[in-house]
Amino acid sequence: MSKIKKKRVGFVLDMTPLVDIAFLLLTFFMFTAKFKSDTENEQKFQIKRPMASADTSKVPDKDLAMIKIGIDTVTNDTAYYYSLSNEQDRKVVYNSDKVQLSDEARQKVILKVTDLKVLEALLKQTRMANLRMKFAIDADKRVQYKWIEDLTNVMRLSNATVFNFVTDKPN
Amino acid sequence: MGGGGGGLQAAPKVKRGSFATVRKKKKRVGFVLDMTPLVDIAFLLLTFFMLSTTLTTPQTMEMSVPPETENVEVKQSELLTVLVRDDGQIFKYMGDKQSNPPEKIALKDLRALSVNENLRMENKLIVSLRISNKVPYGLVINLLDQLNIAETDITQRLSAKGMKRERKFALTPLTDEDKEDLKAL
Repeated sequence: MSKIKKKRVGFVLDMTPLVDIAFLLLTFFMFTAKFKSDTENEQKFQIKRPMASADTSKVPDKDLAMIKIGIDTVTNDTAYYYSLSNEQDRKVVYNSDKVQLSDEARQKVILKVTDLKVLEALLKQTRMANLRMKFAIDADKRVQYKWIEDLTNVMRLSNATVFNFVTDKPN
Repeated sequence: MGGGGGGLQAAPKVKRGSFATVRKKKKRVGFVLDMTPLVDIAFLLLTFFMLSTTLTTPQTMEMSVPPETENVEVKQSELLTVLVRDDGQIFKYMGDKQSNPPEKIALKDLRALSVNENLRMENKLIVSLRISNKVPYGLVINLLDQLNIAETDITQRLSAKGMKRERKFALTPLTDEDKEDLKAL
């Protein structure tokens, strides 16, 4: 019996560090993932933001009054949606007497506003509730400029003269 | 894959066989754990989270409007008017409408226009944007974006000349008179 000596090429690869890094990345992404809240899931409108390359400031996450102009996905109607980031301010402003809203609407997080007078009252109350409040306009790029024009007029009347337009960065 | 393989080793036994040799027989309690599926799931989850997290928050463009409608006196010679018609076509005229009739201009040329006019007027230029109510908001933002891009260039060149940049512009709706004038063009 001839001894066939197999010459083995040593090819041992220890994969432990690879698995370590994979788990590290996994935990990182698990902690930084932001999930859609219930209110966002209920939201029936969609906003396709316009692109602007020169913008560098971020949307503030607190002391923010956001006025969205969204297009309903079902009916294709355009409407104003008002929301406040601070829950405390929200309770004060939404339940204020000066703002004409149904009791049912006052409970919501995002208010659909169809009347400019209501919007004006909301803005005035917001400014009184929190002096540091920052305003942002998040509108769909397809809406007509008239909506923005009306909104800026109302903001001017409520003395909210400094605001931000929310945009997307082009790739 | 490096699987955890540990084996409990029992004490070596001496076998009394026909050969009368001492053979050390290691009795191994099998404890092999194949970790391949664990790592597969880990990579799957990783890919899922990598693709679904949005790391960047949306950007904002800062704007301000003058409080109430205070009428500011402007010199017509220092005024650059940019008009946007219903169909999205952009026009511009410098100073007086009668002597400089509105000219068509493309969106991409606005940046160069802003830079040139601002530098020519040496920081005194006032830009008036008159936008028709029917123009889509996206176009307005693109327009403002072009002007904002021009700003960095203008600020740099003016500071080279020793001037501190003061930007003045106004955003107003298109008047009926403007609409009539632009219809013809």
